[in-house]
Amino acid sequence: MNEPFFSRDRNAPDPAPGTSWWSRCWAWLWGLEVDEARPLGPVELPWRHHWDHLPKRSAGFGFSRREYQDARRRADDVARATLGEALWARLKRKGYLDLPSRLYPGITYRLRVGRRIEVRCAPGVRSPWPYTYLCINPTYPLPEVEFFAHLYLYVRDREEEIVRVAAPQPWDQSLGRTF
Amino acid sequence: MGRIIVANRHGHQLVEWDTTTDTEESRRAIAEAERVLEEARTNGCAISKKVNGVHVLDRDPFDPDAEEYQIVAPIAGG
Repeated sequence: MNEPFFSRDRNAPDPAPGTSWWSRCWAWLWGLEVDEARPLGPVELPWRHHWDHLPKRSAGFGFSRREYQDARRRADDVARATLGEALWARLKRKGYLDLPSRLYPGITYRLRVGRRIEVRCAPGVRSPWPYTYLCINPTYPLPEVEFFAHLYLYVRDREEEIVRVAAPQPWDQSLGRTF
Repeated sequence: MGRIIVANRHGHQLVEWDTTTDTEESRRAIAEAERVLEEARTNGCAISKKVNGVHVLDRDPFDPDAEEYQIVAPIAGG
């Protein structure tokens, strides 16, 4: 489980040629063409890896521009299916989704793609947190819109978990573990 | 046909199984899907199940007749 550099499962087969960091270096050294359109290999189970060493807003070393594009496209598809057409359309129109708290009357969570949760209080209602923004990240790198859908499910169905892990912050900022 | 959407840095990848045929291969696929789901839960992931067309976080055991599951990333503050 202690992957020092790459976050690869030791038991997983080698990545397809042209998709690993070493393959790219090799291709660069020898002037070979890298096949970036190669289909995905075996299913990557991210909880099997350590990701703490990755740069912020990164999917990992060796991830190509094409892979980022493909990941974001696939994430759009899943987020849309998870939220449903009505919520997806509202998100696209407004740029955020508001969800009322079940635990704290008068509190609304404003969810925005790739940003901290904004806590909004009805007039006369005091926030349970000392700051306006809640910083919550996935424990492994995900496209930001995919994590947005996850966060929506947590706030709607398991707000206790949000309350348990949230790190209140005085300012807004991009999430570090999404890209 | 059932499937698990595994959200990962590739956007997502799918684990699929088929309950319409009873073959060694289909039984293996179901067992593999159940194993992936349980492993995810053990490692702190939440599981979402599609019920009447809507995804809801779910704590029930794996149901091979479910249409779709989604593995939802564990969350951490900061």
